[in-house]
Amino acid sequence: MNIESLKLKKISALWIIVILVLFIASIVLGILMRLNQGKVIEQSPLTFYTNMTTHGLTMIGIWFAAGMVAVNYLLQRYVKTSYGVNLFAFILTVIGVVMLWITTYAGKFSTGWTFLYPLPFRDLGSESWSTPLFLISLTVLGVGWLVWSVSLMAQILKKYTLSQAFAWQHFKSNASVETPPFILITTVTLIGVIASLIAAVIVIILYFAEYFSHGDFVNDALLMKNLIYFFGHTIANEMLYLGLAVIYEIFGEVSDRPKWKMTWYISLAWNCAMIFILTAFFHHLYMDFVQPQALQIVGQLASYLASIPSAAVTVFSIVAAVYGVKVRWSIVNLLFFLGVAGWVIGGLGAVIDATISNNIMLHNTLWVPAHFHTYNAMGNVLFSLGFFYWFSTQYVDKLVLSKLTKYTLALLIIGGIGFLMAFYVAGANSIPRRYSTYPVELTSGPYLAKVGALFASIYLIAILIFFYNIAKRCFVILSASSR
Amino acid sequence: MQQNSIMLFFMLLVGIGTIFFVSIFMSSLNADKDSTGVKNLLKKRFWFTLILIVVLGIFAAATLPKSPYFTFANETPSTVIHVGTMQFSFFLSTKPIDPKSPSGETIEIPHDQLVEFRVTSFDVNHGFAVYDPSMRLITQVQAMPGYVNNLRYKFTEPGKYHIFCLEFCGTGHPVMQATFKVI
Repeated sequence: MNIESLKLKKISALWIIVILVLFIASIVLGILMRLNQGKVIEQSPLTFYTNMTTHGLTMIGIWFAAGMVAVNYLLQRYVKTSYGVNLFAFILTVIGVVMLWITTYAGKFSTGWTFLYPLPFRDLGSESWSTPLFLISLTVLGVGWLVWSVSLMAQILKKYTLSQAFAWQHFKSNASVETPPFILITTVTLIGVIASLIAAVIVIILYFAEYFSHGDFVNDALLMKNLIYFFGHTIANEMLYLGLAVIYEIFGEVSDRPKWKMTWYISLAWNCAMIFILTAFFHHLYMDFVQPQALQIVGQLASYLASIPSAAVTVFSIVAAVYGVKVRWSIVNLLFFLGVAGWVIGGLGAVIDATISNNIMLHNTLWVPAHFHTYNAMGNVLFSLGFFYWFSTQYVDKLVLSKLTKYTLALLIIGGIGFLMAFYVAGANSIPRRYSTYPVELTSGPYLAKVGALFASIYLIAILIFFYNIAKRCFVILSASSR
Repeated sequence: MQQNSIMLFFMLLVGIGTIFFVSIFMSSLNADKDSTGVKNLLKKRFWFTLILIVVLGIFAAATLPKSPYFTFANETPSTVIHVGTMQFSFFLSTKPIDPKSPSGETIEIPHDQLVEFRVTSFDVNHGFAVYDPSMRLITQVQAMPGYVNNLRYKFTEPGKYHIFCLEFCGTGHPVMQATFKVI
């Protein structure tokens, strides 16, 4: 094993352990929030909202990083990637997360992950230093991830021209160079990631400009909302696509099925997906009636259109690879397959909510966390867990589907469905999201919160078992020598 | 009630989706060793995509005209209510509200008549969500500093209506509420 490849394995193993530890901590925060809403425990509103802010920001950060770790690792098959940049991103992510947790727990910063302007300047109960520290922590994370994304993109463009990276040559009948689907999806996704991070940089600059102007410069609330959702929606969406790139790359080989080759329709689908993903964020602003109506309509159409390439190419391909064919099932492809199902079902909930005439009944009710938890907790997380298993077992162990693994998967599914259903039913019952406790009039809120907490605890048990299995193998990789 | 229809429709889709994925998985478990799977993949993919585009097109055409920006757009409201919001209160008034010393009044709205809420915020983003007497969310709009969002609605049922804030605005967010009467 050469030193370069061992270094990449070790840093990937380290990422995985840190991500899973933060994941478990964030799930616990989520359960505490639901228990508080269910009146099983009693937290102050400030504690609840610091937990909520920490939970949201950490979850988005770690699952974005998880996708990047997987893509960076697999990209090594095609191009050389920089170990130094990977390590740099790791160090900045750890520093950024520590600063973030100091901001929320010591500084009581509690604006939610959306930190909608101008709430960070009027965050009641927080320390005055928490807002600048929060912005600095976002800067640290943003710099680490931007450098990482640009570095991976640059490495791809050293081997492929831009049009080849987009697989445009596959629109002709005889392409001279074949672009692997993994390269195309990674390119499309990294462009979205870089665009969203640039929006984050603009938001941070605008916040700092107002902070240091002492009232001379005031931001525009509508522009800030557009920028924040362009950043937040896009990065949360792109992390799913990082997971899909991984599935395209390794689903075939772990299932004893042929690897997907690039075709004109895969190229077309992902090129279209790039545009739709970048314009779908407008659906977050449907209830801001002052937003130009054309953008509202673009929001609904882009949200609908984004589902077409996903369903017609990715989901269809995975279904076709499995239907009526003997597949070597293991925990890895089972997690991928289950994740695709979760992604599709969450997508259905999302398309319903992205319909403006429905959104007026569902906006900022628990329907929203219902659908995004579906395609994250039962979609994207499973994509990454599948990768983590594949990564950790390929050097240490064999992939076997033991009874314990099957029971753990069953716990994950039961826990996942239960805690998501509590969200969906509450959303349909008009229960608002982000309420630390519910007004007495909203009678079903506390009851459904208790149900959610119970099933989320079952989900947590499954994650703890997965964590044990993955982390113990990652520790073996970390202690491996190059000999 | 629209939410019940949405939930029913969603559960129907989830049911179909679950049966679909389970049957795909079972077909793999029960497959012969030499089975080659789906034939004529490109043709099937074409039809699947076409059906999806048509279904989504029908949905978009049916739902977009029902967007709140277009409802009651050509009618003149008989009542105008000014709504000012700030951490963690709503001010409702038939007269414009002074942001420096905001105050509200008891509001009664006649049923079956068009009302326009002119909603703004004096500090951070808030939500203005109207719940009917059975505590069902019936309409909403955001309250944004520096902007006025106009929300039009025709109440058909007399009774006590609640207003809740549906945009996270700080620690007092869940206690930010108000009521009005439809007569």
